[in-house]
Amino acid sequence: MFHWLEKHPFFFAVGVFVTIAFAGLVEILPNFAQASRPVIGTAPYSTLELAGRHVYIKNSCNACHSQLVRPFKSETDRYGHYSLSGEYAYDRPFLWGSKRTGPDLWRVGNYRTTDWHENHMKDPASVVPGSIMPAYKWMFTNKADIETAFAEQLTVAQYFSVTYNEPVPMKDGSSIIVKMGGSVAEAKAIALEEAKLIAADMRDQDVKDAVARGEIPEIVALIAYMNSLK
Amino acid sequence: MENRPLEYDYTIAKMFMFTTIVLGIVGMLIGVILAFQLAFPGVNLFLGEGLAEYTNFSRLRPLHTDAVIFGFTLSGVFATWYYVGQRVLKVSMAESKLLMTLGKVHFWLYLVVVAAVVVSLFAGVTTSKEYAEFEWPIDIGVVVVWVIWGMGVFGLIGIRREKSLYISIWYYIATFLGIAMLYLFNNMEIPTILGTSAAGESGICAWYHSVSMYSGTNDALVQWWYGHNAVAFGFTVPIVAMIYYFLPKESGQAIYSYKLSLLSFWGLMFVYLWAGGHHLLYSTVPDWMQTMGSIFSVILILPSWGSAINMLLTMKGEWQQVAASPLIKFMILGSTFYMFSTLEGPIQAIKSVNAIAHFTDWIVGHVHDGVLGWVGFMIMAALYHMAPRVFKREIYSKSLMAAQFWIQTLGVVLYFTSMWIAGITQGMMWRAHDEFGNLAYSFIDTVTVLHPYYTIRGVGGLLYLVGFLMFAYNIYKTMSARPVEERELQNASPMGA
Amino acid sequence: MDIAQIQAYGYFALTVFLVLALYGYIYHLYTKKKDVDGIDYESYSDMALKDDLDDAPVSPKSDDKLTP
Repeated sequence: MFHWLEKHPFFFAVGVFVTIAFAGLVEILPNFAQASRPVIGTAPYSTLELAGRHVYIKNSCNACHSQLVRPFKSETDRYGHYSLSGEYAYDRPFLWGSKRTGPDLWRVGNYRTTDWHENHMKDPASVVPGSIMPAYKWMFTNKADIETAFAEQLTVAQYFSVTYNEPVPMKDGSSIIVKMGGSVAEAKAIALEEAKLIAADMRDQDVKDAVARGEIPEIVALIAYMNSLK
Repeated sequence: MENRPLEYDYTIAKMFMFTTIVLGIVGMLIGVILAFQLAFPGVNLFLGEGLAEYTNFSRLRPLHTDAVIFGFTLSGVFATWYYVGQRVLKVSMAESKLLMTLGKVHFWLYLVVVAAVVVSLFAGVTTSKEYAEFEWPIDIGVVVVWVIWGMGVFGLIGIRREKSLYISIWYYIATFLGIAMLYLFNNMEIPTILGTSAAGESGICAWYHSVSMYSGTNDALVQWWYGHNAVAFGFTVPIVAMIYYFLPKESGQAIYSYKLSLLSFWGLMFVYLWAGGHHLLYSTVPDWMQTMGSIFSVILILPSWGSAINMLLTMKGEWQQVAASPLIKFMILGSTFYMFSTLEGPIQAIKSVNAIAHFTDWIVGHVHDGVLGWVGFMIMAALYHMAPRVFKREIYSKSLMAAQFWIQTLGVVLYFTSMWIAGITQGMMWRAHDEFGNLAYSFIDTVTVLHPYYTIRGVGGLLYLVGFLMFAYNIYKTMSARPVEERELQNASPMGA
Repeated sequence: MDIAQIQAYGYFALTVFLVLALYGYIYHLYTKKKDVDGIDYESYSDMALKDDLDDAPVSPKSDDKLTP
């Protein structure tokens, strides 16, 4: 049988394919139905947070920062509760990263503030002496892409049944509603409301002015995203 | 056409040799810049504040990985395919106009996709998935290039004179199938323009943007099933294909055991795909998958070493050739590094070791002793062997090649030793507690301590880049070296002083 | 029977099959030493060593058998 395979390239290729596809079929496919339900307290991303997530991805923050707290005492001491599968239900793509050149960020919203992030992104070494992280000054002038974030909300709502504009249960028994606009103008207005709250805690006058004019710099969106990681 | 005897046609092989060298230089240069950015953060501004957005570490990092994987390595795979494929099937590309045209289309489309990748990654257009950063329009381009290559592969096999397929051909076929399957499944994504048009808001967003079909844990699972096996089918399988051809050919020795090579092939095919789970140890994927990833990673030593030992034993009784020829040195050290990194990988995949090693520089070190020592050395050796046959001239300088070998070996050793120390140091510091059970170090303490190792790593990388430039120069000068006769090209490649 | 069980049985059956196939292959290679065409497996190494266009193939495709 084998020598026959070796002289018939087509069937040989089929044999190789079955052998390599086997692991994927058994290991990966069956898990799909189970792992993607959100846990209590996990809400979909708002428009501004999603725009911030895009800024995070655009600058490959995940090249140096993980978003996965492993179940070790040293990690829960440093970063908070270890990660649960359901907490990532709205993460498309996942941003666990593979290298921790900088600290984990999965629960950074618990222990860093808007003010801290602002200073840190402008000049990392001023807040963390010895930091080797580069400054990200262009985030203070580049504008966040709210339209694409809104488009992504529409897409996940349509294709993956992510529920916006409905109450989401929180851990303390209360519930919150994550709003999605019905049109681009509405989405931008919702994002701007959120941006104003962030900008109020910031010091950079140019950023404050921009938000007052109705523009949203990347840094505002990024901080909204960072603050949402809890 | 005149009535000339039929010859192998290396037109396409030459084209891909060119991109192997150019993209190799680009990818390694970016790598060296990245290394020094970690050691000296000021290097992030090496083109000034104005261009900082495009020269900082995080924006360049995907360019480095993709340039060396899909630029340097893949070009090398294509170049050797268009060389080895013809020879072991005993059929010339010149015999089929169709295959020749497919080959040329393959090359030029490949260049277009490379250009698109460079532009999009500099602009920060990325899906963030490692080694699959390209957005959907480029993914479509990649699939087209891949299908065209596959048509070329199976087309050439279809008109072969040799009935049996040489073991290298097996590995090339596996490369084609493996990458095709992995790439397709990992890049399943929904372009956001589809979602908006349904909501009556067409054309509001960036047209190239997309959302992954998988979320969270599942996305991670698919990504590392891909990520790990992109290493398998990009860095292992086609490189094994190369060494099974080039080492016996260059040394004139038959493979030590052809049977063993067949067994190792099936073993590798079956086991490799399971091992992806070791990237996700202690994460939120189910425990049994993590354990499976761990176990299969350890089993993976067997088929990997099967190939590597087969190669070393091929030199049995002929070790004087290793001393005499720098070209064979490259291949023997390459298979030694292959053995070394396929032992190191399983060790890191053991759960308790992974608890320390994961997220640290030890992983970076592991990747690089594999790619610098094994993939890089083997591709350069393959191109050195091909050059005299493709250009019909002897290799320009043997002594330059020998010098390059030692410089690069030193570079690799500096690289992985410094990363070992850095990784284990950092892993241990992260988990250190003082006598009261509090964390002993703040995070930044574990970063500043790495400075000397990052510097040594940068120097190691720089040495490797210098060696690669020597390689490029040597190949360039070969094109105008002394012409050689057909009979000089049997086994050992002719080399000038 | 839920999907996890099907998965487990399927996994077990396929693994047993592949292990048997691999060991059958090893047994075949080392007892027969030759394939159906009567060619010693080890002589396939010559496909790399004698790979000029005018070298004779180790096992020619049938339609080429007449050419010298």
